[in-house]
Amino acid sequence: MLRVLLAKDLRHAVRNPLPWIINLIVPLSMTLLVGLIFGRHADSGALGRIRFAVVDEDKSLLGDLLRGVTNQAKGGRHFDPVFMGREAAMREIDADKISAVLIIPANFMSNYLRAREPVSLELIKNPAESVNPAVLEELLGVVATGLNAISHNFRSKFPEWRTGLEGSGDYHQAFFFIERTGAKLMMTPKYKNYINPPLVSYEKEPPADASTSAAPAKAGGSQSDAISGVFSYLLIGFSGMFLLFIAGSAMSDLYRELRQHTLERYQTLRDSLAPFLASKAVFGVVMLLLCAAIMLGGGGLIFHIHWRRPLPLMALTFGYACFMAALFAVFVALMPDERRAAVLNNLAAMFMGLAGGVFPPELLPAFLRQHITPFLPSYWFVTTARNLQDGGMDVAWGWAAFKFAALGAALIALAAMLLRRRFQSGLRA
Amino acid sequence: MSSCPLTIAGMSLLKVEHLSKTFGTIRAVDSVSLEVRPGEIYGLLGPNGAGKTTTISMICGLLKPDAGEVLVAGTTFWSDPQKAKRIMGVVPQELAIYEELSGRENLEFWGRLAGLSSREARLRATELLEALTLADRAKDAVATYSGGMKRRINLGCALLHRPQLLLLDEPTVGIDPQARLNILEFIRNLLAAGTGILYTTHYLEEAEMLCQRIGIIDHGRLLAEGTLSQLQERLGGDRVFVLEADFKSALPDAWEGFHQRFRVIQKTERQLVVAAIGARDPSECLKDLLDLPVRAENVTLKRPSLNDVFLQLTGRELRE
Repeated sequence: MLRVLLAKDLRHAVRNPLPWIINLIVPLSMTLLVGLIFGRHADSGALGRIRFAVVDEDKSLLGDLLRGVTNQAKGGRHFDPVFMGREAAMREIDADKISAVLIIPANFMSNYLRAREPVSLELIKNPAESVNPAVLEELLGVVATGLNAISHNFRSKFPEWRTGLEGSGDYHQAFFFIERTGAKLMMTPKYKNYINPPLVSYEKEPPADASTSAAPAKAGGSQSDAISGVFSYLLIGFSGMFLLFIAGSAMSDLYRELRQHTLERYQTLRDSLAPFLASKAVFGVVMLLLCAAIMLGGGGLIFHIHWRRPLPLMALTFGYACFMAALFAVFVALMPDERRAAVLNNLAAMFMGLAGGVFPPELLPAFLRQHITPFLPSYWFVTTARNLQDGGMDVAWGWAAFKFAALGAALIALAAMLLRRRFQSGLRA
Repeated sequence: MSSCPLTIAGMSLLKVEHLSKTFGTIRAVDSVSLEVRPGEIYGLLGPNGAGKTTTISMICGLLKPDAGEVLVAGTTFWSDPQKAKRIMGVVPQELAIYEELSGRENLEFWGRLAGLSSREARLRATELLEALTLADRAKDAVATYSGGMKRRINLGCALLHRPQLLLLDEPTVGIDPQARLNILEFIRNLLAAGTGILYTTHYLEEAEMLCQRIGIIDHGRLLAEGTLSQLQERLGGDRVFVLEADFKSALPDAWEGFHQRFRVIQKTERQLVVAAIGARDPSECLKDLLDLPVRAENVTLKRPSLNDVFLQLTGRELRE
């Protein structure tokens, strides 16, 4: 039965390929557009140099170290830090001349080495930019990870370090401490594993609590990894949303069947509508997988993203596609009016996409973040995919994929029941 | 599933008892009862919106009736819908075919859905394409067909599994007279195989030409049913008189003895249609009519049509 229905849909798609072409062109053009905007920078390994201000109110050795790191060697190729006062920095950001302002508050190093209370680094992002501030935020996370790791493991040495580093600062002694700490880390496999890749990171909210926080893993400490991580983060989020739009469009083929009265005729021959809907869902899933391949695969090529766990990601995407196709089959069953349904489908896709993972959840309003986002399947997909990309080995992708597929099957059964009831109550397309 | 030959001697193929359906405040079908026997075409005649399609939709399970029962080959439809669907073929009023697919592909597809194997569907499609005189266009997309050809494919799609009971919902609507005649001829030929057909239409001629029994439906109610002659007898014989005159101020109720001799079928400002009561000589009736207190301009004697029956039952013409 399913084979017969699929063969019919395949013939139909071959004779009238326009809907398929349109649905495939959307992700293709989106990926190409983003690639044209950002891709040429990626050819040189990263974005252009990121200009940002450092407001060093601490005036300690740490600021000097940071200045050196960002100016020299690889850092100099990617970053263009300018050191200035807070007011001047704010004027620069207002004039859209810099991507962010990093503020090292007064007594930062002193408080850090005393380890009495949490210390914070402040990052003010330019709201007019999206990628560069995000890259800086990620890098600041790496810095915070390192500071966290040192605080956790070398706290007993802090009094000795403080004596050497506070005041005017003795560079020879500082480098001696750094060298000794590094050597100790390298000799101790446990520590080596701990920081390379770092298994602890920082919490973005509250920002950069350097001495106490620990949180979601962000593996890979290099700058190019961080940039790639930003793109993969964004790409997964956007894919989660765009796939919803495409699913809505793919499943609107059911409206054609209603308009042509072929679904009605089908029901005069077969009692169950589930096979008919399942065949449509299979076609929808194929379309969604092609679109996902374009977005994730094509986007990956453009941005040099190395997908760390492609097979689990594929399985997860497959499950998500099953769910989405079935979800929009339910929408068709619920909404008899095709034009009204198109608007509502787009609104639903946009809401699920935006609230479910395009933006980092911490940027969402508290109510949404706490009471709605965690229950959105788009969020389940995006977070699981991001966790896979972050290298987490214990990510329950299999369960997530199964959950999506099972939900999809249940939704197809629900759509069949709703459509049947709709027919029996006399409603038509 | 192949075709389901049934032993149904003496049994109705379809029996509908007191079927009712309401949409909101509109009573679309009101206690309709009818019966279709093997080898019979039962015509359900009524104007648009009379409840014909709703009745067929309830019979084939698309709509759930609010009340009443549908028995297909002696079994209640809702006790085993799939079994009932195997017995029937449904031709919807609207074209329900895939325009991008060819005629053959459409037939084979619906045949496979009806349970035929791939080979059976292919052979049966070839047979039907020949019978529907579409063999030479079998490979063309249905979108390129004329209206009549599409109607024939629409009909053929319901016949792949050789249904015992065929429900035809206005299958000739919107096509030219020649194409209509072809379809009617094809339907008549189906009777030879013992197929029982429920045929809805609002064309009087079709019902008169094709159907052994006719049910007249209006506003959801089955007003009368029977053979054509039985329905004609309701008017009091085999002739009606049409008087043309100025009836604006005429009051037949005031005419002495008029209602004892004639039954009024229709009265308009210019026309009075009456049937004689009892077996009376036509010339005597004519004389009575010319004696009426109006100045008759013309009097016509004719055999009563279904339209006259409909007129008498509803007070308006079927084509109104």
